[in-house]
Amino acid sequence: MSYIEIQKLSYSYNEKTNVLDDINIDIEKGEWIAVLGHNGSGKSTLAKTLVGLLEPKTGDITIDGITLGEETAYEIRKKIGIVFQNPDNQFVGVTVKDDIAFGMENLCVPREEMLEKINFYAKKVNMLDFLDKEPATLSGGQKQRVAIAGILAMQSDIIIFDEATSMLDPYSKEELIQYIKTLHKDGLTIIMITHDINEALLADRILVMNKGKVFAFQETEKIMKDKETFTSSNLELPVALELANSLAQDDKFKEIRDKLWEYALTK
Amino acid sequence: MGIRFNQVSHGYTSFADGLYTAIKDISFEISDKNEFIALVGHTGSGKSTLAKHMNALIFPTSGTLEIFGKTITSKRDKKIKYNDIRKKVGLVFQFPEYQLFEETVEKDIMFGPMNFKISKEEAKALAKESLNLVGLDDSYLTRNPYNLSGGEKKRVSIAGILAMNPDILVLDEPTSGLDPAGRRVLMDLFKDIHDKTKKSVIIITHDMDLVYQYFNRVLVMNEGHLIFDGDPEKLFREKDLFKNHLDYPNTIKVLDYLNKSLGINLDIYKRTIEEALLEIKGAEKL
Repeated sequence: MSYIEIQKLSYSYNEKTNVLDDINIDIEKGEWIAVLGHNGSGKSTLAKTLVGLLEPKTGDITIDGITLGEETAYEIRKKIGIVFQNPDNQFVGVTVKDDIAFGMENLCVPREEMLEKINFYAKKVNMLDFLDKEPATLSGGQKQRVAIAGILAMQSDIIIFDEATSMLDPYSKEELIQYIKTLHKDGLTIIMITHDINEALLADRILVMNKGKVFAFQETEKIMKDKETFTSSNLELPVALELANSLAQDDKFKEIRDKLWEYALTK
Repeated sequence: MGIRFNQVSHGYTSFADGLYTAIKDISFEISDKNEFIALVGHTGSGKSTLAKHMNALIFPTSGTLEIFGKTITSKRDKKIKYNDIRKKVGLVFQFPEYQLFEETVEKDIMFGPMNFKISKEEAKALAKESLNLVGLDDSYLTRNPYNLSGGEKKRVSIAGILAMNPDILVLDEPTSGLDPAGRRVLMDLFKDIHDKTKKSVIIITHDMDLVYQYFNRVLVMNEGHLIFDGDPEKLFREKDLFKNHLDYPNTIKVLDYLNKSLGINLDIYKRTIEEALLEIKGAEKL
C-alpha cells in the first residue's frame, strides 16, 4: 500500500465540466513529486482536495491508510500541510512566533511544549532571530519559511508547495529550493506544484496535468526525454533540454548533449 | 518628456523598524512614447515604490518628479489635477483580483473611463475595444469577473487601464503566476500594443529570459538605489547579478556551463534557443 493513494478522484465547481477528471495516482512515503500543467489544468484543485479544503465529487483519497472523509479530515490535516503562492495570504499570526504557534494551538499542544517546538522549528528554518518580528518586516521567502515551520511543528510529514516560489525573487527562490531539498533528505514527502520547469527537474517523479486529467506520471529523467508530453500539454522544456533534443541527430554533439543533460538535472 | 525623477527618495514608517527608506536618490527619465522598459530588482529593492510614483499614487519624501509637465513634490498641490496624471499614466497592480470589483466585466472596464466624463455609450464601446485588445472576445462582457481564471482576471484588469487610453502604461509583475505559454502570450500582447500605439510601457518582472528577449532598456533596483539603466545585454556582460540577488537568462547560464565544463569558447550572449543552437552548431572546436 502506498503512502498516498488517490482513486477515481473527480471534482467540479459547476455541473458542466470536471476540473479534476478520474485521477488515479499513488505516491510513496518520502517521494518528491512535481506537478506541472497549464493554467487551469487542475493542479491547485488537486492540492486543495488532498488537504481536505475541497470535497471531491467522487473518488477516494487515502493517506497512510486513512481514507479522507468528514470524520477523518481532522486526522488527515495533521499529516499534510500546504504552502500557498502568496506568502501574505497565509500569515495569520501577529508575529513569527504566533504564526508558528497557530497550528499547534488548534491541536491543544501544552504551552511549555509549544514554546520548545517554536524555538526548535524556527531554528530549523533559520528564522530564530525573527521570532518577535511582524510579517510586514519579513521578505516573501522568510514568510514562506515561517509557514513551513508551522507545518513541521504540527508533525506533518507531507508538504504541498502550491507555486510557493512563484512570487519570490530569484535569490529567495533559490534559498527556498535549497530548504525543500533538506526537507526531502529528512524524509518528508514533497508535492510541488510549479510552472518552473527547472524546479520540477529536482523531483523524483513528475506528474503532468492537462485539462483535469493525469497526462503523464513518470520518473523525471524519463519524462524529460519525451518532448511530445510537454508540447501537447502546453508546457516548455528547459532551455538545456530543448538544445539537447535539437542536437540529438548528430554524434558530433554527444559530449555537448551529455553536458546539457547534466546541467538540466543538477543545476 | 513623459516622466522625470529628480533625486527622488521615499521613506515609510514601520512600527518595528522606524523609518525605512524604500527608494533613495533616484534620477532618470522616461519618454512619453516609444519606450519599452523592464524594471527588475530583488524583493524589497524598491521596484513597486518606484512604480507607484509614476502616476503620483504616492509622493516623494524628498526630491521632485515631473509627470507630463506637472511637478510633483512631497506636498499635495491644489493646482495640480492628479486625476489627469492618472489618466495619462495607467498603473496595473500585481494582483489584478484586488482591482476588479464590479459585477460584470463590462462594468469593470467602463469604471475608469466613466470617471473621465465621457458618455455611457462611449465607455461601452471603449470597454469592448479594450477587451478585444487583450485577446478576450465579446462573450466576456457579461461575465462576472470573480468567476474568471487568474490569467483572464489579469487581462480584464489590463483592459480596464487600456480603456482610459493612457500615454504610459506601468505593469507590476503582470506575468507572475502564469504558465510559460500564458506568459509569452501576454508579453506578445504588450509588445503588440506598444508597436501599434507607440505608447511607452514599463513592466516589472523577475524573468530575465523575458528581459533579454523583449526589452531594449532595463532599469535595475538594488536596496533602494537605481544601479543600472541601459541595454539588457550590457547588464548581463557588466554586472554581477548574483550579487544583486538577481539571475541571468537561461541561454546565458547554459552556454556558460558548456564553456566551463568542456573548455570551449562559445559566445554566451544569445537571446533565444534558436540563436544558442546556431552558436553550438557553428562552433569550430568541440
